Amino acid sequence: MELLIKNGAVYDPVNGIAGDRADISIKDGKIVEKVSSGASVIDAGGRLVMAGGVDAHSHIAGAKVNLGRLMRPEDSRIGLKSRTKITRVYSGYTVPNVFAMGYRYAQMGYTTVFEAAQAIMKARHTHEELEEIPIIDKGALTLFGSNWPTMDYVREKNLDKLAAYVAWGLLASRGFGVKVVNPGGGEMWGFGKNVTSLDDVVPNFDVTPAQIIVSLMKANEMLRLPHSVHLHCNNLGKPGNYKTTLASMELAKQIKPAKDRQVLHVTHLTFNAWGGTNWGDFESKADEIANYLNNSDNVTTDMGQLIFGSATTMTADGPVQYANAKLLHAKWGNGDVELEDASGVVPIFYAKQISIHAIMWAIGLELALLTKDPYKVLLTTDHPNGGPFVNYPEVIALLMSNKKRQEEIKTLHEAVHKRTKIPGIERELDFNDIAIMTRAGPAKVLGLLDTKGHLGVGADADVAIYDIKPDQIDPSVEYAKIKSAFQSAAYTIKGGEVVVKDGQITATPMGRTFWVDATVPEEQTEIMMKDIRMKFKNYYSINLANYMVQDAYVTHPKVVKAGAIPVKVS
Amino acid sequence: MQTVTIKPRKEIRISVEAENISPDKFAGKTEKEILSMEAWMGNQKTTLGELFSVKVDGSGAAADTKIVMDGDFSRIKRIGEGMTAGLIMIKGNVDMHLGAKMSGGKISVTGNVDSWAGREMKGGELIIEGNAGYYLGAGYRGETCGMRGGKITVLGSALDFVGEHMCGGEIIVKGNTGILPGLSNNGGKIVIEGNTSRPGSEMAKGTIIVNGTVDEMMPVFKVEGTETIDGVTYRKYTGDVIVNGKGVLYVK
Repeated sequence: MELLIKNGAVYDPVNGIAGDRADISIKDGKIVEKVSSGASVIDAGGRLVMAGGVDAHSHIAGAKVNLGRLMRPEDSRIGLKSRTKITRVYSGYTVPNVFAMGYRYAQMGYTTVFEAAQAIMKARHTHEELEEIPIIDKGALTLFGSNWPTMDYVREKNLDKLAAYVAWGLLASRGFGVKVVNPGGGEMWGFGKNVTSLDDVVPNFDVTPAQIIVSLMKANEMLRLPHSVHLHCNNLGKPGNYKTTLASMELAKQIKPAKDRQVLHVTHLTFNAWGGTNWGDFESKADEIANYLNNSDNVTTDMGQLIFGSATTMTADGPVQYANAKLLHAKWGNGDVELEDASGVVPIFYAKQISIHAIMWAIGLELALLTKDPYKVLLTTDHPNGGPFVNYPEVIALLMSNKKRQEEIKTLHEAVHKRTKIPGIERELDFNDIAIMTRAGPAKVLGLLDTKGHLGVGADADVAIYDIKPDQIDPSVEYAKIKSAFQSAAYTIKGGEVVVKDGQITATPMGRTFWVDATVPEEQTEIMMKDIRMKFKNYYSINLANYMVQDAYVTHPKVVKAGAIPVKVS
Repeated sequence: MQTVTIKPRKEIRISVEAENISPDKFAGKTEKEILSMEAWMGNQKTTLGELFSVKVDGSGAAADTKIVMDGDFSRIKRIGEGMTAGLIMIKGNVDMHLGAKMSGGKISVTGNVDSWAGREMKGGELIIEGNAGYYLGAGYRGETCGMRGGKITVLGSALDFVGEHMCGGEIIVKGNTGILPGLSNNGGKIVIEGNTSRPGSEMAKGTIIVNGTVDEMMPVFKVEGTETIDGVTYRKYTGDVIVNGKGVLYVK
């Protein structure tokens, strides 16, 4: 099957194309040099063309997403769409059903999305849901930060075993990368406690969060994994936590990347760039984080932008969710994954007139606007923690228009003037910056730049065409048009197939699931497995044979190879 | 002024989703237009015209629209859902979700109503001369706010969970209610003239007045002595202390 997209105003930062008229040739799901004269043709007519969107951090599948659905039946009453010949019934806003995940991402021109956290033990559930999400390619990051074997090997300073465990954990969970959430805190929460700094010692394991982060970064680079360690910092959700965030970023300096990417991705900064000492003097410290990013090259971040209205917070950070539920008098879902992690789910409503929410709204935007290099700040809402992903077009419009921001600021609590820098920031991002923050950046951060996030020859034929003519629009003023165009793509092409036309789903092919098969020397795996077998014998409530995600759960896999090479990492 | 008269054409045994029966939807519409409005009967799509005879006199805005319903509507759900103005007068019984989410206008029923009447209503008035089912003026599954405003009057009795998650407005039940009226409520006022059991559990705010007997009290209230309202002396309780509630419960 051949397809030619003619006459697009193409933004492809990876290949240095910024709004030039270019044709894109597609054959058998890939972008190629040229196609034959028999190819079907889409005339973009000068409209905006970008690669399919890539989301490196979103909670789209798994145990806690489903707990959110169970806790929020009221959410599933929102946005109900009947079955059509092509689409199935879908509904929900903050915790939509599986079909809505695929359809709505595709409608925005997104074609690749990564679930940000799965415990190995719950991975089968994650994949059961991923299998039902239509259209988009996806993958899931696996939690390693509070796992007993991780902490044992960190204490023993046995990096070979740790690397073998990470490789095996990715295989067991069919996972894509190493996610670390409040390292050590997940274990402490089993005793109703938490860690409060990078140097707190986790009882029974005698390790600190800093040691866990550094060791996992080393193991990650030993295994040459496509993605870096993906960190949800300690002290998230507490005023003054920007210091912990900066200290965590500082740890990355000890490590050299094994690939052309960061060594640490620090996620959803809206929740951990907080100054002050309590809720009274709470303020934004996004400028300090941005300043750090401007002077550092081994750390990337994402916004986790807050969206006013309903959201559902869900995270493997169990203790922060208990605190949230108490603070908000809200419903509270708590989870414990034996030997591995904790979790919590709490619904929230972000209100413009609540000072803390207004400041948090500013943090994500400040970070994106004060950081010079858009490759270092990805566009996310930490769906559904900051707000549902369907609001990305709103975020794009806010980033592209100071006028829109100023109008929004007028409706917010006055604290946004005194305790954030956002009112004075005039920078407006252009289409190239947006293409980086939503395409090239996430693909690079994930280590998928060979096939995702750009439109060069050899890339996956994932393309979005938006109903905007970049040379005829002033995003600074016509922000409403920008928002509506990004909400509903004129065309979304996934793997060479038109899946969305004029905002309507036209086909629902099954996307692939990315996972990483990292090889380590067999004898290392054997030594490590002795410990794992003991853990199962002594502690786990299930058998090892029932723990691994079988291939039957991943019917459209895309296996990315990685592996240890005999090079010592500092 | 517009008057729309609706009568069932035949006995309806399968439940019908009739959210289109509302002054907002009928205002300014002709008989033909109303007859062709969509309704779902079970899993079949049908029209109001298939199920009902409709007579329209005059034409007007929603506020000037009166819907008169005469007959057995005991399988017709969601009448007056989300209405903002106008009047619905029902001579007969109706099914679930009567006046759900309504924010204005008035609905009166001479017969009985099934569960979820006045669910999440924000304003307006609902008068039920017969009995009400479960969850009168409550929030639907998962909602943290049920009724937020308006007034519901039941001349008969109501079943369990009257005003669950209520955040505002007023519910008056002249007869008895089932268990747990005002469960988890966060505002508003419930007056029960008859008997009830276990009122006000988990209440955070709001007022409940019981003029009959309370069969069973939840052990979650602080005793605050007595208080006289309109010449009637009540025992006064505050709670639910387990949720640090500031709700007030008066029992005669």
